[in-house]
Formats: sequence, C-alpha cells, structure tokens
Amino acid sequence: MRRVTKLAAAVTATAALAVTATACGESSTESGGKKNKGVGLAFDVGGRDDHSFNEAAAAGTDKAEKKLGVKTKEMTAGNNETEATREQRLTSLAKAGYNPVIGVGFNYGKSINKIAKDFPDTTFGVVDSGSAAKNVSGMTFAEHEASYLVGVAAAKKTKSKKVSFIGGVDNALIQKFEAGYVKGVKDTDPKIKVETDYLYKESDKGFNDPARAKDMAKGMLSRGNDVIYSAAGQSGAGSIEEVSKVKGSWAIGVDSDQYRQKGLEKYRDAILTSAVKNVDVAVYELIKSVKDGKPLTGNQTFSLKEQGVSVSTSGGFIDDIQSDLDKVSKDITAGKIKVPSKP
Amino acid sequence: MSRFRSKFDGYKLLLALAAPALALIAAFLLSSLVIAATGKDPLHAFAVMIDFGSKSDSQVWIINKAIPYYLSAAAVAIGFRMNLFNIGVDGQYRVAAFFAAVVGGALSLPGILQIPVIIIVAMAVGAIWAGIAGVLKTTRGVSEVITTIMLNSIAGSLIGYFLSEDRLAVKDGNLFHTPNIPAAGHFFTIPTDPKPIYGTVLIAVVIGLAYWFVLGRTRFGFDLRAVGRSESAASASGVSVKRMVVTSMLLSGAVAGLVGMPTLLNESYNYGTDFPAGVGFTGIAIALLGRNHPIGMALAALLWGFLERTGIQLEFEEYAQEVVGVMQGVIVLSVVIAYEIVRRYGLRMQQRKVGEELSARARTDANDDTAEVSA
Amino acid sequence: MHPAATRERVIKPSSENSSRPPDPGSASGVAVELRGITKRFPGVVANRDIDFTVRQGTVHALVGENGAGKSTLMKILYGMQRPDEGTISIGGEQVTLHSPADAIARGIGMVHQHFKLADNLTVLENTVLGAEKLHGIGARARRRIGELSDAYQLGIRPDLLVEELGVADRQRVEILKALYRGARTLILDEPTAVLVPQEVDALFANLRELKAEGLTVLFISHKLGEVLSVADAITVVRRGTTVASVRPEETTSQQLAELMVGSELPSAETRDSTVTDVPMLTVDGLHLSATDTDGVVRDVLDGISFTIHKGEVLGVAGVEGNGQAELVEAVMGMVDPDGGAVTLDGEDLSHAPTRRRRESGIGYIPEDRHRHGLLLEAPLWENRILGHATEEPNTRGRFLGVPGFPELLALRDARTDTERIVSDYDVRTPGIEVTAASLSGGNQQKFIVGREMSHHPKLLIAAHPTRGVDVGAQAQIWDQIREARREGLAVLLISADLDELIGLSDTLRVMYRGRLVADADPATVTPEELGSAMTGAATGHLESDEPPASAEPPASDDARPENGTGGAK
Repeated sequence: MRRVTKLAAAVTATAALAVTATACGESSTESGGKKNKGVGLAFDVGGRDDHSFNEAAAAGTDKAEKKLGVKTKEMTAGNNETEATREQRLTSLAKAGYNPVIGVGFNYGKSINKIAKDFPDTTFGVVDSGSAAKNVSGMTFAEHEASYLVGVAAAKKTKSKKVSFIGGVDNALIQKFEAGYVKGVKDTDPKIKVETDYLYKESDKGFNDPARAKDMAKGMLSRGNDVIYSAAGQSGAGSIEEVSKVKGSWAIGVDSDQYRQKGLEKYRDAILTSAVKNVDVAVYELIKSVKDGKPLTGNQTFSLKEQGVSVSTSGGFIDDIQSDLDKVSKDITAGKIKVPSKP
Repeated sequence: MSRFRSKFDGYKLLLALAAPALALIAAFLLSSLVIAATGKDPLHAFAVMIDFGSKSDSQVWIINKAIPYYLSAAAVAIGFRMNLFNIGVDGQYRVAAFFAAVVGGALSLPGILQIPVIIIVAMAVGAIWAGIAGVLKTTRGVSEVITTIMLNSIAGSLIGYFLSEDRLAVKDGNLFHTPNIPAAGHFFTIPTDPKPIYGTVLIAVVIGLAYWFVLGRTRFGFDLRAVGRSESAASASGVSVKRMVVTSMLLSGAVAGLVGMPTLLNESYNYGTDFPAGVGFTGIAIALLGRNHPIGMALAALLWGFLERTGIQLEFEEYAQEVVGVMQGVIVLSVVIAYEIVRRYGLRMQQRKVGEELSARARTDANDDTAEVSA
Repeated sequence: MHPAATRERVIKPSSENSSRPPDPGSASGVAVELRGITKRFPGVVANRDIDFTVRQGTVHALVGENGAGKSTLMKILYGMQRPDEGTISIGGEQVTLHSPADAIARGIGMVHQHFKLADNLTVLENTVLGAEKLHGIGARARRRIGELSDAYQLGIRPDLLVEELGVADRQRVEILKALYRGARTLILDEPTAVLVPQEVDALFANLRELKAEGLTVLFISHKLGEVLSVADAITVVRRGTTVASVRPEETTSQQLAELMVGSELPSAETRDSTVTDVPMLTVDGLHLSATDTDGVVRDVLDGISFTIHKGEVLGVAGVEGNGQAELVEAVMGMVDPDGGAVTLDGEDLSHAPTRRRRESGIGYIPEDRHRHGLLLEAPLWENRILGHATEEPNTRGRFLGVPGFPELLALRDARTDTERIVSDYDVRTPGIEVTAASLSGGNQQKFIVGREMSHHPKLLIAAHPTRGVDVGAQAQIWDQIREARREGLAVLLISADLDELIGLSDTLRVMYRGRLVADADPATVTPEELGSAMTGAATGHLESDEPPASAEPPASDDARPENGTGGAK
C-alpha cells in the first residue's frame, strides 16, 4: 500500500505543478469574438419543451427570429445546479458575443446581475427577477392577478365545491400563484374548500417531476376536488394528464396557453383555461429593443393592466362566465380588488 | 522472503496502475461511442474539453467546485471503510449549513471567532443528524441506508419549514435566505487571476490529511477498518462494533457538515433556497471513483469538476447536454468494474504464488522422500 | 518446530505393492478407475498424477491429511470439477463428467460432509426433490423408499421432518437419496466426523450391508482406526498425489499415518502433570439465555462453574450446539451473560468488554478462524495487529503523548514482529504482504496461534484448534499448547475431536444442553464413555468398570497425540 500511496502522491504533485504552471496562461474569457451573434437564451430546468414557462419564453425568441431575423442560442439548466454553473452558462453566452443574454427563471436572478458587471456592453434580461445592474432588464409578472382570475373561474365551475392548487416548489414566486388563486376562489364563494400543496419544499426538481404531480393530482381528485390549478412548470403536464382521466373535472394551466400546446393535445378538453404569463411578449420586446439600439433596462412589471398576464379562452370552456371575468379584471386594474401576493 | 516481497511489490505497483488505466480507456471508448451515437464527432468533443478545461479560469472554477465534492466524498468514505452506507450526507450537509448560516447570520463576532463558531456548529449539526442513523442502527437494528434516506427527506422539509420570512429567513426577490453573515465571517480567498480560489480549499486539505492519518495510522482507524472488513472478527478482537457504528456515523456526519462551508463562507454567505443540493450524492460517486483513498478522491473530485466545467462548453458546442452525465456514469462504472477485475486478478495471482510455493516445497519434500526410500 | 527436525525415513508397508492396486481377491470388476488425474487450482495443493482403482463390491478408503487433496479428488469424480489431465473410467468405460448430473447418471452418489437437506421438508420430500421423474412423488416413491430402507437396514421414516432428525439419521437420509437416484458407487466424505462413536458403529454396519448387496463405497477419512476397521482397500493421498495403495490386513495405523504425513509421527508426550493449585480462571454459575427463532427463550448456558489452574488444560467435550460456543463467547466477553462471574487471576471480568479481557491476558484461538480470527482480505501484518491493537509491539502510545489524543499504531514494529511470527511458527507464506485468505487453513491457524502466544497470555481459549488443519500443522499446534501449559498457562480447550481432548487435557468436562453434565479423567476415560455422556446418556463422574486398554497406551494406532484408541472398532 505504501508504494501505491507514494505513487499517488507523485501523480498529484505533478498535476498540481501542471495547474500552477498553466494557471498563469490564457483565460477562457479572453478568447472569443465580439460580433453580435444573436440572442442567448438560458432556460430553467425543464427546458424548451416544458409546455409552460420556458416554452413561453421560447415563443418570444421564435417570434423574434421570424420578425427580426435574429438567431437564438439556447442552453438549459440541469437539476441541482449551483450558482457557479449558472454563471458559467451565462458567461459563455455573453463571451461568445450573444446580445441580449436572457435567463429564464428567477434562479438566474443572482447570476445575471453578477455576470452583467463583467460584460457592460451586453444587455441581459431575466424573467421573474429584478434588476440590480445597469445593463439588466428584470421582467416580473403579476402572476397573482392572473391566478385570481382563474380562481374565480374555478369557483364558478366547481360542482363538488372543492378545488385545489399544486405548486412546483414552495418558494416566494409560486406562493404568489397560490395567494391569488385562493383569494379569487374565496371572494367568489367563501364556502368552497381549497386544498393547496407543493411538490417539493425546496428542490428545483418540482418543476420537472410530472410523475409526482400526477400522484398528487390523483390524491386530490380522489378526495373530491374537481378543479386543479398547477403552477409547476413541466410537472404540470402530469396533473393535467391525471385530471383528463376523471370526467367532469377541470385542469387549469399556467404560464402558456396550455390548451394550444402540441404536447398536451390529448388532454386539451380537460384544460378549462390557463393563467397566462406573456413571457413571450416581454422577451420579444427586449430583443427588439436591443436590435433597435435602445436596450430596455431596469425593472419592468407586467400586470393585468399592461396585458402582461391574462386568462386564456381557447376551447371556449369559460365563454359562459367571460363577462364575470371581465368585470373582475376591470376591478383589479382599477384597484377595487386588492390581490395579495403572499398566502 | 525479501525476494518474494520485492516481486510482490512490483506486481502491486503494476496492478495499481492497471486499474485506473483500464478504467480510463474503457470510459474513453464508451463515451466516444455514446457521442458518436448522437451523431457528433467524439474526438472534437474531447479536444473542446481539454482546451476549455485547461484555461486558467476553468482551473480555478474546477478547484472551487471540487472542494465540497471532496469533503462530501470523505464523509461518505468514512462510512464505506466500515461498511456503512451513509447515503445521508446530502441531508446532513444541508441541515448543517442551514443552522451554521443561521448562527453565523445572527452573530457578529470578530472573524477569528466567527468562522470557527460557524464551522463548529456545522460539524456538530451534521454529526447529530448522522448520529441519529447510527443510534437507530445500534439500538433498533434499522439499516442506516433506510434511515439516512429518510433523514434526507426530513432535512429538506425541516429547512423548507424554517426558510420562510416569518421564521428564520429574509425574502430577497423570489428567494428566501438566512440573514447574511457579516464580512468578518467570510473565509479568505487565495488571489488568482481572474477569479480567486476559495480559502476553504485548506479545510479540504486538512480533512484529507486527517482522514489518511486517522484511518491508516491510529488504533481507532484500524478498529474502524477491521469492522468494515469483518464485523465478527472485529468484535472477537475486542472492538465494540456498536460503539464503532455510532462513532463513525458521528465522524462521517461531522465531515459532511463541512460540505456546505465552501459555499457558505466563500460564496453565498447565506443559506437560501438556491443553496446547492445533491452534493452528498455526488460524494458517493467520487468516493467510489477515488477508491476511498485520500488522494484518489482528490483526483476524482477534480475530474468531476472538470467534467462539469467542460460539460457546459460541450452544450455550447451543440453537443447533447446529457453527454457529460453519461460520461460521469460511465467513468464511475468503468472504475468500479476495472478495480474489481484487477482486484480479483491480483488475488488469484497471489493465491497462485502461495500455491506454487507450497507445491514447490511439497515437490522438494516428495523428491526427498523418494530419494530416501530408494536409498 | 520445523518438520525437517523430525523427518525420518518413510517405511512403506509393502513397497512392491505401492504402485499397483491390491489384489482384488474376488472376480468382481472395476467400479471406478482414475488414471493420471491432475488438477491445478490456485491457492491449494493441486492434485497431480492421481492413480487408483476401486473394485466393485468393496469399501475403499481414501486417506490423507486435511488439505492433501482428497475432497478435490472426490469433486472431480462427482463431476463438480473437471480435471486438467487424466482419465476417469466408470464400470470400465472412459467418461467425461460435466456435472454431478452426469455422475449420478453413471451411478455415482455422494454424501457430502455438510448435508444438503432442506430442514423444513420431510424425508420423503427431500428424497424425491429433484428426482421426481424417477418414481413420481407419491405412493410409488414411498414404496421405493421403503424397499431401499429395508434392503440396507437404513431405518428410514419417510414422513418425519428433517429438522426433527439427529445427525446420524440425516446422514442415512443422504445415503438414501443417493441410492434412490440409482447410485451403485457411493462416495462418503468424512462421514464419521460428525458422529459419536456409537453412531459410527451403526454407520459401518450400514456400509457392510451395502457392500453385501454389491454396491461400492468410497470412504474418505483421516481417522485411521476407522479406516482399518471397515475398509477392504486403502489408498493414501499425500500432498495431492496417491503415494500408496495398501490392504488393511497388511498394515497398521502407525504405518498408515506415516504414509499420510510422509515422516515419522512426533512421539507421544509423557504425561507429566504441570497442574498447579493456583487458580487462573474461575467461572462461577454462568447463566445465559437466548431467544431462538421461534421466540422461545432457552437457557443456552446454565449454571456453568469450573476453575482452571495455572498449567492446566481443561477440555470440554460435547456435540456441537450444546453451548460450547456460547461458553467461549461469554468468557471472551462477546456476549454478556445474565448471571455468574468470570474471574481471571483475581481480576473480576464478569462484565468487562472483550478488549479489556484480551489486555488482561486472554488469548483466543477461535472456532471459526475466518469469521472470528482473521481479516481475510487484509495483509498478514494487519492481521498481526488484530485483537492486539492496544498492546506492544503494535502501539506507539498516544499521538504526541497527550492523553485523549488518538493512539498510534507502530506499523514498522508490527511488520517486523509479523516476520518473526512467520518464521518462529513456521507459517508458510511468500511474505507478510499477502492477504490472510491466500494461506492454507493450517498456515492461517499457525499464524493465529503465533499471534496469540506472542502476547504471553495467562489463559488461552482454544476452540477446535486443529479443525481443518493438516497433520503437520496439527502436531505443531499441539506442541504449542503443551509448551504453553508447561509455562504455567491455563488452557480452556473445546474440541469435537475426542482423541485431541483426551490427549491434551488434564481435566475433562462434558457439556450437554448448556450444562456441564459429566467430568472425567483423561488418563482413564475412553471415547465411547465420553460419547455416551455427550448424548446425555451418562452423567456425573465417568469411570470405567474395568481399566480400559487405553490406560496403558500401546504404540499409538492412530495419527493422534497419545492414548487415542482410534474411535470405535
């Protein structure tokens, strides 16, 4: 054993020397071009095809590709990532000359604001998080307002007087969804019971674990809930699938108009409506502003007022209550209804 | 005798080199196959990895990344050396880092006190969390695999419970995190260009040395390894197996408690909802890869960091994001299999040598007998 | 002691006979013939150039020390191993055996040393299991079993559960199983090792019955007295090869033993008593109960009291499973007894942990060296430390000499001392870096004895110290025990080998169902008397009605230390 130890020690020593010898060498950020190559888009976990949040952002870049003729480079986060990894992803996009560089999801909040300082000539955008640097556009949405509206819809559609909410991860952002939804239901009919639950307490896995959402939805359905609102990114597909199996129950989608999504086509008849976050609009506007040479920066809020959030009507399942919703919508924008952002 | 010994050592050296060489070749070939199957050029991928991974900022990144991996692997390896499978390093380090962050955020002492207090709290909490599994194993006979998995889950919920505004956390945008540790509680960094290396690398070095020393050079380490090799023989030799189980779980947990320190004291200065999770599981892979050897694990942790660093670059170069995950898996499998093959081969060689020597003696004896009879 | 010191010329009983089989005597044909069998096998002595012929309708004994290659040879004949060279002929036809099924198809049956029976099935079920095609599983099978049992007087009761049967009955079930499958040649691997003398007699009666019916029996043993009494022909195996084929009427057990060992046996020890009146180990009223798998609480040890004085060897006889293992564990501190006291040299150790007992001077040669004596995958020098990590020369005191700091190992000293043990105790190994698992059983045991004796214990617990050990190592281990006793050591000897017990002990106790039920004077007791006490048939002080022949030992007729009577005759 002792010989082995010595050998290993020698190997390490050599390796250490090699590191120190080359550490003074070239840094990877020093190479790479400066020409603008298009949009750098960093997805959150779940990736482009999550039928929800990431997909909404992708719709924005797709539109930009078509209308503005810019190219997009897409990269995706993995589970259990650390700050260092996110920073590296953003750095490699910025370094390669992509402008703007957009991080989808509040997970990128810290890293974008940090990296932005290293690339002052690049415009950065982050969805769901605030701006803390000059060249960062922080795009946040009034999810609670859209959630309030779907809450009203749920209250009007439930027969069992039991509705429920599934959150992906129990964090401040998803709690906004919960708070709006619960308030919307209760304001419409205080007797309705709302069951709320989260897939994970603190792990990002909550946004791409459809199987767990499916199980949770199954439980809720068996307890008599007949409307389930899932704010859980890709996981939501699981609960939508489960809801579609029970006749007379409704799923409420999130972020994108999930009725119109290819991947969920089979279950579309169970999707009552979706609380849409118009991420695509926000993303498109940012790209356009960069293209026009007048990059948007600072905090931008997208609420019901700016049509930053909305309720989808595809499928026509809520046509009968549309007028009620319009009225509530008006009251919110007028400030008559105060929607809480914390449960 | 000495002639035999030197021969054996020669073999051992050869075998020691054979295993990693075999593993690397196998991993290289299999990864190439996988990359080729995705329709991409594997050689270019390796070129990208080597080129990008050897950049100075990559080196710093890799070292910083490897620190928690190494600590996690050491925590797992302490269990492995005595045949305990501490799957719970993940929960242990998170609970430990959380409470250390809470204490660190609440205290405002001079750095010379603040940092040790934070570290001691982390080690104590980690040890307690792992100790629960140890105590349950010795008193109720519950497998540590089950308890540590459950404790991981409990750890997640416990942190989730306390990590809200009205409890122990503050809200920062969409994140919740514990109050920041004052600047005095920040660990020093080693200035390198363009980014510094975390000073907590020293903690990893100290733990590596202590691991080597305690396990290889002390009575306690011998007892621990004896239990790992044969519980019955260790107990007959006078080791209290139960006490050893609890002690080693406590030690493993204490080291696990350190896993979160590089992040906490060098990077985030708080424990938030974005605190890295899953490092405990990475530690299992790295302990396997490094064969529980203090230097082997260091190399494995660096290799892991290298793969993660270069993996993002691969994605950037339009390779499938999963390629690096596959590579990591392939490397661990190759190493485990290669070492097992080489170990068995070595054992057979050794037995053959013993057998040969004995039958050589037998033959000489037999010849002597014949000679005597015919005389 | 090096074997060379005692090696003398080998006297072969009939050297002109040694290379060809004994005269068949009758016109019966050849049942089995092996020619030039060679098997290379890592780690153990290979079979090489095995030649022998078994005549049909005879009991043919294959003798040799443990590790000589008998079992490998039988595995080859039963199709469990393929020979590298050589030929096997059965009934005059050359065959290649790929598996035991091949061997069974050719009329070979085997009774293993460790029975292969399912405890929770009946005798009938065990017999037909895997041979359902022969006679079904119902009335036809039952009839066939009845016929076989009657024909060979096996006394089989087909509906009993195997777990209700004693060892001897189980053995008969194994024989029945082989016969049921149509065996004409039966291989019995060390069949008497597990039997008390009375049962051995019954077995031999069965074997004679089989022989009378024209069956052939191949009987493997190292108990020469038994071999001489039952065999028609004897083949001796030494170090993997056949060294002689002899007829029992032309040889003595002394000559056979010398053929087996390849040298003259060490002379029997003169029985100089070294017993003093200084008590070393006192065990008083030891009691231990345990819950078995059915949830029933049983007394495993009940009122065990004895004293071993300095220079005394106390032998405990008993059928395995009667509490000997628990007694050892209680004295070693591996289990905590419910009651009673253990005192070593005036120091109360009743509830002391094992390590303290070892430090206080208890040396331990465990019954199962693989489980309790060695770290098989660790090198020899680490095994040197095992059990003595807190004692010289393995320790260097605490780190920096500060109390509370970890104790350091003295690795270099431990290695040096391992070299010493290897050479002093004749452990045959290429070096101290090899793993313990690479050594043969005898050398492992010599190493353990060396290790334990190196710490000058006050009490040595030797549980089956020569089990599975070749004769050469056996003699050395006995010498070590005698030597230790001369130097004033107290020895607690547990053994299933009655000759070993009688030969080494100063005092004998018999253990039965957790109690010490009988005592005996080894100078006068016979194995038969011990045997009946071991089955619970006799209690109290065992005394012969007439002075047995073995009280005045003739030239030893067995490869046993002294006054052995060679089992039943």
